[in-house]
Amino acid sequence: MRLYSNLSIKQKQIVWAWAFLALPVLFYGIIRFYPTGTAFVISFQEWNLLGDRTWIGWVNYVELLNDPVFWKVFVNTFEYLLIGTPLSLVVSFVIAYHLDKLRFMHGFLRMLYFLPFMTSAVAMAWVWRWFYQDVPIGLFNNLLASVGIPQIAFLNSTTNALPAVLAPAVWAGLGFQVIIFMAGLRAIPQSYYEAAKIDGVGWWTVLTQITIPLLRPTIVFIVVFSSIGFLRIFDHVFNMTTNNPGGPLNSTKPLVLMIYDTAFNGFNMGYAAAQTVVLFLILLLVSLAQLWLLRSD
Amino acid sequence: MANLSLRTLTKAYAQTEVLHGINLDVADGEFIVFVGPSGCGKSTTLRMIAGLEEVTSGEVVIGDRVVNHLEPKERDIAMVFQNYAIYPHMSVKKNIAFGLRSSRMSRPDKEARIAEVAGILDMTHLLDRKPAQLSGGQRQRVAIGRAMVRDPAVFLFDEPLSNLDAQLRTQMRLEIKKLHQRVGNTIVFVTHDQVEAMTMADRIVIMKDGHIQQVGTPSEVYHSPANTFVAQFIGAPSMNMLPGTLNGGGVRLASGQSVGTIHTSTTSRPILLGVRPDDLTLQGSGPTVVTGHVAVREPLGAETLIYVTTEAGEVIAKADGRSPPDVGAHVTLSADPANVHVFDADSGSVLT
Repeated sequence: MRLYSNLSIKQKQIVWAWAFLALPVLFYGIIRFYPTGTAFVISFQEWNLLGDRTWIGWVNYVELLNDPVFWKVFVNTFEYLLIGTPLSLVVSFVIAYHLDKLRFMHGFLRMLYFLPFMTSAVAMAWVWRWFYQDVPIGLFNNLLASVGIPQIAFLNSTTNALPAVLAPAVWAGLGFQVIIFMAGLRAIPQSYYEAAKIDGVGWWTVLTQITIPLLRPTIVFIVVFSSIGFLRIFDHVFNMTTNNPGGPLNSTKPLVLMIYDTAFNGFNMGYAAAQTVVLFLILLLVSLAQLWLLRSD
Repeated sequence: MANLSLRTLTKAYAQTEVLHGINLDVADGEFIVFVGPSGCGKSTTLRMIAGLEEVTSGEVVIGDRVVNHLEPKERDIAMVFQNYAIYPHMSVKKNIAFGLRSSRMSRPDKEARIAEVAGILDMTHLLDRKPAQLSGGQRQRVAIGRAMVRDPAVFLFDEPLSNLDAQLRTQMRLEIKKLHQRVGNTIVFVTHDQVEAMTMADRIVIMKDGHIQQVGTPSEVYHSPANTFVAQFIGAPSMNMLPGTLNGGGVRLASGQSVGTIHTSTTSRPILLGVRPDDLTLQGSGPTVVTGHVAVREPLGAETLIYVTTEAGEVIAKADGRSPPDVGAHVTLSADPANVHVFDADSGSVLT
């Protein structure tokens, strides 16, 4: 006790901070960081989950570089990212921008947009899977048929399957992004808009010169957050293509699904670990690049 | 440059009327200050002139146009906001240039205009800075610059000094007044600070509860207040109000004290006798108004405020700064009849 009372105020604050941080630090250390570190080690080993681990150096990485499936999956993952992030950003902004100006049924509409975010991804994936079936089962094809448009093979086509899987993923994330955008819009002082009104500038100028620049922190957050989400996409793909996960012909397979497949169907832990290291590097580089591109000057 | 008129201007939100038919004529080049407590309708009036609030009924006339249904940009006005409303992501120059975005001026003309305004406001060296790198007073000047650059017929200021500290406020007050003398545009300035109103205005408009109480020069509203509200709102500390009755031109206070002939009216009625602390002297030549004991002293340096407990209630008077009476001392306060105001006790209006 003497020891504690002799500390300066600053030192006491540090003691208390560490007292509260101890548990989460321990938890993160053991449950998160230790396995993460181990994954790096395993990526240089061969291991089938039960047997001994053998050190094989860069073999897993060389195999990965020469694996055509990996490159297909790599491209898929970036397709999810490069279509999903801008699309959800623009759509959620447009919704938030208009919802912000709307008073009538505002709360109800906001709830409607937020609902998919709270819904289980599995349930949603299965509902959308039903939407995509052929006539007479699928909703979309029935609608198309009723106006005389030929059937579209949504989940059975190598070109349509990826966007078809991406659609519910974008939709699911919208509610959250709309809420964040609306909070950002509300934080812009009304007098900025009033000043612009008195200066007589048009709505486009207001949008591009005032609203969007002032939303920069919000946009950075949403871009980074949703990018990580799309790079890690798994449950929508897995549930919508359960008969042949990531199919047809790996056309919807993202990196996380490939890792899952390698690890728990192929029991090739070393190879799977090498893939996670690649995913980690992609996430790191993409996030850093975005933070750098969207930095405030 | 233009004059501005408000004709029976009213504003209602749903069923609640907050502005009850305001009439005011502002001459070209005049500096008008709207002053009043919060919720009196002064900002609403300003925003209606600006076109940021719809006019419920009545007319806003700028120049010789009724502008009720014109967009703010068509009204030839510029406004300076309380929180400045300068854009944090734009440089000072871009902020000022924003006022010219919709103008049809050529690029070199715009540049010249911005340079001219920056020169007038003495901030040419700040043009490339961001607002975050400026002090409060400098930001205020940017906001004024953005308004000035358009050379509007009427400048509107919505409590522009309330975010500044006391010293800076005094300084900006002076700068705005100098600026007005230099550029000569019509200015409508809203504030809740009566000192700002007194020091800057050509004419003051005192408002309360959506009504204009009095319009006049600073001297008029100070020396000849139209009613008890104006009398007590303008001037610090507030005017003393002593209840009494007017009888045959003389006043008998509720406390029993009789104050000599100070009014020409001979009709008998209940009144409030108003005396400013400055006009209540300790050893004056005028008739005695009240006597009492000093309860509290507030030394201000040049003078000392004394709070005197009398039978008519607490009265504030000013005493000499060097030798004020002690607390507890018995004092006799007197006033020159010419400086005493008589108000009707029921309506609060001054009796003339």
